[in-house]
Formats: sequence, structure tokens, C-alpha cells
Amino acid sequence: MIHTLRLPALAVVLGCLLSGCEKQTTPAPAVIPAQTSFAGTIVAVGDSLTAGYGLNETDAYPAQLEKKLQAAGYRWRVVNAGISGETSSGTLSRVDWVLKLKPDIVILETGANDGLRGIDPQVTKKNITETVRILKQNRVTVVLAGMRMVTSMGRDFTEKFAAIYPAVAQKHDLILIPFFLQGVAGNPALNQEDGIHPGAEGYRIITDMVFPYVLQAGVK
Amino acid sequence: MNNARLLFRQIRGAVRQSTVFVLCVALSVVTLVSLGSFGRSVHSSLLRDARVLHAADIIIKSHSPFSPVLTQAVGAKEQRQEIKTARVYEFYSVVRALDNESSLLSDLKIVEPGYPFYGAVTLASGRIFNEVLTAGSVIVEQQLLDRLHLQVGDKLRIGSTTLTIRDTVFAEPDRPTNLFALGPRVFIAAADLASLELVGTGSRVHYTILAKVRDQNSIGRLAEELGRSAVKDRERVETYRTAGSAVKRFFDNLLFFLNLIGIFTLLLAGIGIQSTLTALLKEQERTIAIMKAVGAGSRFILRHYFALTFALGLIGTLIGLAASVLLQVFLPELFRGLLPAAVELTISGSAVTEGLILGFIVVFLFTALPIYRLREVKPRAIFGKEEQSSLRSRPTWLSSAVSLFFLFGMVVWRIREVKTGIYFILGVALLILVSLICAEGIMYLLQKIQLRNLIMRQAVRGLFRPGNATRVSIVTLTASLAVIFCITLVENNLDSAFITSYPPKAPNLFFIDIQPGQKAALAQSLGSATTFYPVVKGTVIAVNGVPVNQEEEHKKRGDNLGREFNLTYREQLLDSEQIVDGDALYRKEWPGLQVSVLDTVLKMRDMHIGDTITFRIQGIPMDVRISSVRTTTRETLQPFFYFVFPDDVLKDAPQSLFAAVRVDKDNIAALQNRIVADFPNITVINMTETATIFAGIMGKLSAIIRFFTFFSVVAGVLIIVSSIIATRYARIREAVYFTILGARGRFVITVFTAENLCLGLGSALSALVLAQTSSWAICRFALNVPYRPCTAISLMMVLATSLLIIAVGLGASFSILRVKPAVFLREQADE
Repeated sequence: MIHTLRLPALAVVLGCLLSGCEKQTTPAPAVIPAQTSFAGTIVAVGDSLTAGYGLNETDAYPAQLEKKLQAAGYRWRVVNAGISGETSSGTLSRVDWVLKLKPDIVILETGANDGLRGIDPQVTKKNITETVRILKQNRVTVVLAGMRMVTSMGRDFTEKFAAIYPAVAQKHDLILIPFFLQGVAGNPALNQEDGIHPGAEGYRIITDMVFPYVLQAGVK
Repeated sequence: MNNARLLFRQIRGAVRQSTVFVLCVALSVVTLVSLGSFGRSVHSSLLRDARVLHAADIIIKSHSPFSPVLTQAVGAKEQRQEIKTARVYEFYSVVRALDNESSLLSDLKIVEPGYPFYGAVTLASGRIFNEVLTAGSVIVEQQLLDRLHLQVGDKLRIGSTTLTIRDTVFAEPDRPTNLFALGPRVFIAAADLASLELVGTGSRVHYTILAKVRDQNSIGRLAEELGRSAVKDRERVETYRTAGSAVKRFFDNLLFFLNLIGIFTLLLAGIGIQSTLTALLKEQERTIAIMKAVGAGSRFILRHYFALTFALGLIGTLIGLAASVLLQVFLPELFRGLLPAAVELTISGSAVTEGLILGFIVVFLFTALPIYRLREVKPRAIFGKEEQSSLRSRPTWLSSAVSLFFLFGMVVWRIREVKTGIYFILGVALLILVSLICAEGIMYLLQKIQLRNLIMRQAVRGLFRPGNATRVSIVTLTASLAVIFCITLVENNLDSAFITSYPPKAPNLFFIDIQPGQKAALAQSLGSATTFYPVVKGTVIAVNGVPVNQEEEHKKRGDNLGREFNLTYREQLLDSEQIVDGDALYRKEWPGLQVSVLDTVLKMRDMHIGDTITFRIQGIPMDVRISSVRTTTRETLQPFFYFVFPDDVLKDAPQSLFAAVRVDKDNIAALQNRIVADFPNITVINMTETATIFAGIMGKLSAIIRFFTFFSVVAGVLIIVSSIIATRYARIREAVYFTILGARGRFVITVFTAENLCLGLGSALSALVLAQTSSWAICRFALNVPYRPCTAISLMMVLATSLLIIAVGLGASFSILRVKPAVFLREQADE
């Protein structure tokens, strides 16, 4: 279609800055679990890595985590509150909305888009700190997902960026997942064609890795 | 030649017809020659442009390092010297000025020597790219210098190494495929790749292998072979012909359209030639009858009239050639900036020969029939016994068939597609057939209508006067007007689809990720009128209760429901929007939530007003009913939103804002620095270059299309003039009779005007119906652009042509009215 000339620019610009609309290679989706009464609410706040960009919602990690928790006998509800393309500023802006979901635990995964756009890590750090402060003020247990930046951004930048998460976790006494994409990032087989968004199999690994931290938060 | 004097006298005696005839021939020659030479230069430069746009013959892309299998396959072909390659690595990285510690996200492009194989990277200094970009140097965009306060010669820290800025880059050939950059371009030589330490595990790099093929004929084969070695879904092998490029698509459409215009103009000019010659010969019938009566044989007569058309045809061809030469003075101006300067727009010898040959073929084809008919002129025509020429005779069909075949050949030759040729001919045949049916229909209606008004009655009778080729006139007018209307409609549709998309004042800076709290401060900082658009992210999870399979959707080519959408809210339509279904944006009487959708969404899935879409907005499902369907009337760089909600639905949802502004090029760097300092989270996307380049190209293209469309309009006017002149003799007689019967000049004029009005309006309206149908089909199926009926333009065309027909008719009639009845009758009696 000639519509390409209409510049899907704005769609691209606004929506999937992280990646184009490309094909991906993950297998078929799982079944939605039956509704049960829940003992608590976990809200997975984050960007496309939480939302499960390019996958069915059931394949993204929040849905897989809920299934895994239920299989282990924990009647927790996990809400996917991921927004593709969101930066830490966006996360901070919607923290009130997140609180409306009455979370007991928030898994906070944000900042990757800041890094990919070269936003000063100081800005990202300030936003995450402020988000965490508001959540804690409202008695929410925060699990902070550590993030690392692609090495092509340059060592100065990636070092400053990676340092944000341990620093914030330590200062606010948070449970820290050292690196959210541990074992998945950089492996073409576990990612979609764009090379940065995990596929269903990638999310299985992420879910397994996140699981103990969530249990730890549940005890807390 | 012994009858040269006779020829001369005949031409002088029928100066009007001869002039129109000559003009028609000249027009077809001009069209053929200028389109021919233009088409040739455009065609070659287009192919070259497509290649330049990708800087190579074969392009291989991947998001991860190339697989060993593919690398080996490329290596083997390189060893056999079938291809030459250059690797390109593109990624974003934060670069730092060595002196002042300020840093900036930049769009790095690391290239091996050889890049670009086609086109050139132009540098501010004018030096050669490959000579400047040596190990240890970088070439940057001016924007980077402005933002980091650096100069050429300063050092830049990139990755683990320090490189020296050697030059600034103006343009790179393959940039148009990479429109949206978050930062300025930095070129680095591949020799420095390792020392950067940026490409490796954990990096995000676009890997490209550009290949130049030695034997151009093997591009397809080589690409296919390489494609077999590529990892499916991860490594993509394309050629410059297959790699999608909106610009190339547009050029293809343009060339296709220009060729069609050229052939249509030829057809129109041919019809003009035929109808003027018919008129000319009609007036000569008496002469011919006398010639036959005094013993001239059919062969002599044919030879004589062939000589006449040959003489006129030659004059027309010469005038046409002269005009073509003159046109060359203007053409380069018209095409400046669009074609590479190297393309010669001078008339080639072959174009002239081609024009001459085609000109003569056209003259021959379209004059054969009227001249052939001369055989049928009997000496008794001296006594005014006229014989109706019929549309149904065998020679008519034969000559039409031959003409159609000729046009078919032209299409196949020019567009190089037999299928298009067949469609074209079927189209033209259908056009003539439908025009005939229209003519019959109009004639039938006119005969049936009971008219009380004397003027109208006389006017309608006039249309049925013997010798008045009303039916032929209506067919000719309908067919040619349909073609002109069709061209105009298609042109307007192309125009709105492409050209007005890039108004010179289009916004060039886009701000994303503005947080609601920053709106006021940013508006102040940007000054002027900034429009903010709230953006709320959401996905479509079901339509009418049927879940959307995100994964399946995601696999579809083109846009689909499997992505996150940018939702917005407002209570009114934008200036650039129209409601195509539904009464208003929202239904006041509906309870519950509602949404207005853009028509594009309906292409992703069939939906109707009243249907329910389930959105998931930040974890919360939301059922909304479709209240209206919108379309954008201008495909501009202005933002458009697929889903628009009433204020109360989304106002409180988490949102960011988007802003688009027009900023003077010189102020951009300063503004960007200010924004980064004051609003570090806001990302600025600078589209100045893109917008400027596109606006320029599109403006030029518009001019070119108009220019060639003008030819066909001239042909149409000539046809109208010739068809009026054709009935001149009958009109004179009628005017004389009216005057003898006591009518005043005004009455005669009114009758003639009414007559022409019937003719014009009837033909124009049927032409409009034909044109709307055919231009819809062309836009929809051949050009793939959205169709708009352009109502105002359509009505104006009908009005203008009717007025033109009346005006030309009046012009021709005034001289008729000047003929004194007595003189006319005496001449008649004398004969």
C-alpha cells in the first residue's frame, strides 16, 4: 500500500519506538487460567518488556507468573500494567493510577526506553526514586527489576545506567532482581526478530527467575 | 506536382479545419517527443535512484551478527568476483565531546570502504567521502557540532576510543529509508570498529551487507541464492528492485500515469484529426462530386486527398517538432531538483525519429477512414443529395480496430506490460461502446421529450438536422471528456494522496513523552501556537466479544490489531478529518462508553457502527461501542489517531502528550539544547530534512503531472472546436432559413446556444459518470491510493466544458450570422 507514504511515522514515533512491526517466531499461546478468589494483588508495572510486546498477553511474564504462583498454591492475582514505549517519566506520571489497582506488591520494571533514547541516567534515577517513594508511602512492597543497557550505547553510559538500580534498591530497602533479562538478552533464540523483545520461551526463563523474588516479597 | 496549386487553394479555402488539423498533429508530436525523451531519462534515472536509495544492488539485513552459512555464501560469491561487498553497522550510542564533557545520543554508521556503491555521501567541504573517512576520523552531521559546541578538527569520544571530526555530512544516499533518527549521524570507518568496543555481545546493532553485482543481469539469481543461505525470519536478502521504498512506488505511479496521459492525448489528438478531416472533406464533397463528374477516378481523388493530408500532416509534424525543441527550454526548469543533474533533457535523435514515425502513423490511422469514404461520394452529391455516413459500416469498425491495436502496441511498448495493455484497450473499447450507448440514450431522450418552448424545440430539432453529426459529436465529446475528466480526477487523487501530504509549513519537530505536568512550561518554552495531543496507550483485546489473537495479528503484513495503540480523547473533529459513517463523532443518546474509529482500522478488521471493541487500557478492560467512522482528508505529517474517545472516558487515565511544531531550521539546535536542559525526559524528533526533501519533490511532481495533463486538455478543446466546425455548413443554412422566416439574430443565437447546451451538458454528464467509474478503478486497482470523488472539481469540469462548448459554438456561429441570407441563397442558386 502506498499508505506507507502517509508516514506511519507517528505510529512509530509514538508507539513502538523500541521496534518496528516485524514478524516474530514464538509458538502458540497458552490458555487463560480460570477466575479464582485472590489472596493479594501483584501489579507488574513496566514497559514493553512487561507488556509482552508482540505476544499474546498470556505469554508475557505477568500471566506466566500468575500461573506459576497458582500452581505453587499461591492465590495471587498478577495484573499486567505494562505500556510499550514508556519511559520512567511515564511510569512516575501514572503511579496514582497504579495505586487504584490496590496492589500489595509492585514489580517495577522501567528505564529501558530511557536508556535506548540516551536520556541522562540521572533523570531515570530520579524518576524511579520518586516512583518508589510514592509506592512505599502507600505501603506497597516494591520489587525493583534491574536493567542494563545495550553495550553499543558506550561504556560510560551503560555503567551509569546499570548503577541506578542497586543504588535505588539499597537506599529504599527494596527487593532487587539484579537483571530482569538475565539469560535472555542477547540470545536470538529467546528473543523476537527485533533482537530485544523476549519471545514466549524467553518469558518462561524470566518468570522462573522472578518467581523467588516475588515469594520473598510475599513474606515481607 | 501538377495539382499543388489545387492543394494550396483547398487548404486556403478551408483554413479553419486545416488549422485545427495541423494543431492536432502538432500536439500528438509534441506529446510523443517530450514524453518520450522525458520518460526515457526518468526511467533510467529512476532505476538509478532506486539503487542509490539503497546504495547497492543487493541488501542483506539482520538484527544480529550474520550466520556463518550466509557469511560463507557471501564470501564464496565475493571470491568468484561475482559481487563486491561493504559491511555497514548502524546503532545509537552516546558520544562525548572531549573538551567540555557534554554528551549526545548519536546515530552511528560504521562503513567499510566501497560504501556507497551507488550515489554519493556529500560533504560540506566537497571532498570525496571515502578519502576523508579514514581510520581515526569521523564525519558528522552539522547538528552534532551545534549541539555539542564543537568544530571540525575537534575530538569526539566514541565507545572506548577517541576520533577526530574531519568533515560534516550534507546528505547520504540511503538516508531516506531511515527517516526517524533520535540523534545526528556520525560516520565512522570500519577500521575503527574494533577499538570502539561497542559491537559485540549485548549490543543492539543493525547489521547490513551491501553488495554490488558485477553482471547486472544476475542480480535476481544471486539474491535468490543468498536468500537460501539466510536464516529465515532473521536475515533478509533484498535487491534494490524488491526492497520497498515509498518514494520508488511513487515514481512508478508517476511514470505509469504520465505514459497513460501520453497515450490518451494521442488518442484524443487522433479523434481530433479524424473529426476535422471529416468536416473538411464534408465541405469538399461538392468539389469531389464535380471532380468525379468531369471524369476524375477514385484513385486520382484518393491520391489527391492523401497528398492534402500528407501536406497538412507534415506542417503539423514540423510545428510539433519545433514546439518540442522550444519546450526543452522549459522542461529542465520544471524538472530541476527532481532528476539528477546528469540526466540530459535535450531531445535525442531517436526521440525525434520516433516522434516523426509515430506522428505519421497517427495521421495515417486517423485519416484513412474519412479518405476511404471519399469513394462513396457520388457525382449526384452536386445536387445536394446528402448521404448519411453510418457508424456501423465495415470500414469504420476496421479502422477503429486498427487504431485500437496501434494504441495497444503503444501501451505495451511504453509500459512494458501486456496485461496493462489489454486492460487499456478493453478500457478504451468499453469507453467508446459506453459513449455510443450514452449518445443513443441522449438522442432517444431528446426525441421523446415534448417541448413547448419554441427555442428549445428548434434547438432539439437542430440536433437531428441532416448532416449534423450529433451522434458522432456526442460519442466523440463523451469519450474525450471522459478521458480528460478521468485524468483530472486521478491527478487530484494522486495529489491529495502524496503532494499535499507535505505542505511547506508542515511541522518538522515532534516532541514525545511530554508529561502532563510539563505541558504549560513546554508550551511557554516552545512559544507560538503549539498543539498538544494527549496519548493514552491501550490494546484491542476483543471485537464483538471475539478475542484478538495478538500473535496472529502481529504476523500480518502491514498494520494490524496486534500492537499497542495510541488512544486520544477530544470532543471535536480535527480540520483534517471527516465523518464517513455516522451522524456525529459521538452519539449523545447512547449510554455507556463509545469510540470514533479511523477508516484505516476497518481495513484491519471489518467493523461497523454499534459494534463493541474491548480495549485493555493499563490492565483495565473496557467495552466501548463504535459511534462513528472518520477519515483523514489530508494525509499530512499531522498526527492522526485511530481511536478517539470522549473526554470523560480517558481524561483521568495515565497519559503523556505529543506535540508537533514548525521551527525554523536555524533555531533547531538551540531549541533542542534548551529542551534537553529543561525537560530531560522529552525526546525530540527532528524531521526537517525529510519534510523539506519531500515537500520539494512532491511540489515538482505536481508541476510535471499538471504540465502533461495540460496537453490532453488542449486536445479536448481542439476536438470541441473541430466538431463545431464540422457542422458549420449546416448551421449557415439553418441560420439563413431562420432569418428568411423573419427571425432576429438573437433568436438564432439563442437556438444555437440551447442546442450546444444540450450537446455539451449531455456529453459532459455522461463523461463524468464514465470518468468517476474509471478513475475510481485506476486509483483503487492500479495506483493503490485512496479514492475521493472530488465533487466540487467534477461539477466545475461539467460546467466549464458546457460553457466552453457554448462559447466555441457561439464563436463559430457569429461568422455564420454574418453571412447574408441573400448572398448565401444566390451562391446556392449559382451552384
